[in-house]
Amino acid sequence: VTETVVAAPLLVALVSAIATLLAGSNGRLQRVVSLLGSLAYAGAVAVLFSRVVLPLGSAPTTLVYQVSNWSAPFGITLVADGLSAFMLGLSALVSVPALAFAVLYVDSYGQRLSFHPLYHFMLVGVTGAFLTGDVFNLFVWFEVMLMSSYVLVLFYSGPEHTRAALNYVVLNLLGSAAMLLAIGGIYATTGTLNMADLARRLAEPAAYDVALAPVLGLSAVLFAVFALKAGIVPFQFWVPAAYRAAPTPVTAVLAGVVKKVGVYAVVRLYFTVFAAASLPELSLPGLAPVADGASFLAFFGPVMFVMAAASVLFGGFAAVGGTDLDEVLAYSSVGQIGFVVLPLAVAATVPEVRALGVAAALVYAFNHGLAKSLLFLASGTVEAAVGTTRLADLGGLAPRAPLLAGAFLAGALALVGIPPLSGFFGKLLVFDAAARAAALDATGAVAALGVVLAGAVLTVAYYTRAWNAVFWGEPSERVEAALPARWTRPRRTGAEGAVADGRGEAGVAVDPDPTGSGRTLRELTLAGELTVVVALAVAVVAFGVGFEGLLAAAEAAATAALDTESYVRAVAPAEVLGE
Amino acid sequence: MTAVATVTGAAVSTATGPSPAPSPLALPLPLAAAAESGATETGPNLALALVLGALFAVGTYLVLRRDVVRVVWGVSIISQSANVYLVTMGGITPAADAPVGNSVAGATDPLVQALVLTAIVIGFGTTALALVLTYRVYEEHGTIDTREIADFDPETGGGADGSGTGTGAQTDGGTGGERA
Repeated sequence: VTETVVAAPLLVALVSAIATLLAGSNGRLQRVVSLLGSLAYAGAVAVLFSRVVLPLGSAPTTLVYQVSNWSAPFGITLVADGLSAFMLGLSALVSVPALAFAVLYVDSYGQRLSFHPLYHFMLVGVTGAFLTGDVFNLFVWFEVMLMSSYVLVLFYSGPEHTRAALNYVVLNLLGSAAMLLAIGGIYATTGTLNMADLARRLAEPAAYDVALAPVLGLSAVLFAVFALKAGIVPFQFWVPAAYRAAPTPVTAVLAGVVKKVGVYAVVRLYFTVFAAASLPELSLPGLAPVADGASFLAFFGPVMFVMAAASVLFGGFAAVGGTDLDEVLAYSSVGQIGFVVLPLAVAATVPEVRALGVAAALVYAFNHGLAKSLLFLASGTVEAAVGTTRLADLGGLAPRAPLLAGAFLAGALALVGIPPLSGFFGKLLVFDAAARAAALDATGAVAALGVVLAGAVLTVAYYTRAWNAVFWGEPSERVEAALPARWTRPRRTGAEGAVADGRGEAGVAVDPDPTGSGRTLRELTLAGELTVVVALAVAVVAFGVGFEGLLAAAEAAATAALDTESYVRAVAPAEVLGE
Repeated sequence: MTAVATVTGAAVSTATGPSPAPSPLALPLPLAAAAESGATETGPNLALALVLGALFAVGTYLVLRRDVVRVVWGVSIISQSANVYLVTMGGITPAADAPVGNSVAGATDPLVQALVLTAIVIGFGTTALALVLTYRVYEEHGTIDTREIADFDPETGGGADGSGTGTGAQTDGGTGGERA
């Protein structure tokens, strides 16, 4: 049965992208169209989510849309199951506030030039990647997403930005070529590109005349590509520079959502598709022979573990040494993505905790997506209010901007893992997965526990350091100049409120608007930005308090990701090679 | 529905076609694959494998240069070699029958060509962007030498010899100038 609702988020994002392109001559209209489009996207995702996942606790359904009604292995298939719906939910939750922030934050010339169409095209790519059921189609959506993100990283076009973008573009173009190679090889070896068909053929290699050894090698190449997109060590080079070069709201989406596309691809392809294949008899140097009947995951588990552990430690240590708030946050992203991949590694290695491990990874990815976008947007607000994010130039912001400080604290504590914030449960589940694996005497599980612990300590260290440098202590010179008085609640610092309360002085130093009405306009802009940040902080707290719903959705997603059979049954690829 | 049925029928009728054909080229190592298949298949595979190897070698060599323009050429060549590889995977020998539509004996797999067409179009876009980016890098840094670009210090607003005026390329006189 073809369900049109599956394509809805994709179509909405595409229409928004084109509409913002057409509305380019009128800046205000374009902003309104862009915001409405983003809200409509969230609405479409909500409808799809309710169709697939709700009511929580029941078995998630899998909706399939066959493009142009070509049956599965011939046409392009869009599949919305629990996993896709979960990731789309994250994408909608991050992209709407980030866009609202961008409308206030990015200068109006830049917005009119290209920002809104690019932003929506990036969402199109992300949505397509989450929904597609075809490996080559996944490559195309990756390209759509990357093309937009190239230009968004290059957005300000200064010396730093061109350098970061050069790095980012060249690395990702090489990654795309590698992805194309791997996909071409997989097609030549298995004779199909449809994920469900692929899973079916890999499950019965003899019946379909599939050689598994080359598929293992090709899937390893593909894994490197996904690791590059997710910024896992040793493919993290582009992360800090690109995150610092892109406009802050874009960075929030890059770290919150685009990074997770790599994680999603790993879960979808390796846990749903390649898990169906059993390892061919291989004697790889340095690897113990694998037990009979083990799936590809037994090979990828240790690989994921080494990369995840390296990410956690490298990202943690680099973030501790960061000199700039954005730099700390960017390296923190590298470390936190390790926390997402680590439970996946445990899940891949130890079949007994597979569902728990995948659910832990998804919860952690969700929490990191929300909390890290909150932190990047908070950093953007600091930049807008004070004019710098260098740790040495900042200090004492907490008494001057208590709400901003509170929101930053909520995000930082969520990533550290303090109850009742959503991050606590994410970290708890990661620990739980590792501890259960250790209880089963799984190889490396104790090492995994050690890495998680070390990573948690590092997280505490670098967020404490960032908090102390930015918000604690005496106001620095820059802060004193920019915010001489206490900057109070956003709703009261409206145009009249700010002037009447005598707080209009706040934030005069930076970027005075030449039109003269700049002071109130700037006040309003800052207040709006702060409102977005606070709203995200409320969301972080709300998902922590109402964690049961999030956990149920993540468990539904993990169930969907691991249930290859019902995935294949839902897509129902036709038999190409009848016996 | 009838269209689908026809497609399926046609595909089923070619049951023996596509499956054995790709397996000789299944290994990602072109030379090994060609050597293996050389016994059973004819010459073009070995030739293509050699061409592919050479293309990847040239592409990799260029990507490792210090000159950004050459890096872009290298990336572009590597993307194109991936396309050549895809065509090779689909089989240029008329062994496989088309799995869609009327089965014509001796036709190659059209899907691979559709994939390559898509990849070429994407390649156009990315190459154009990379070239524009190269020009922009030259405008911002005054050089297209990757090492000098890497030396750029955002704190002081310039590299060892300043930025933005083209001094980098002139003082070094190296890879930046060679491009013309």
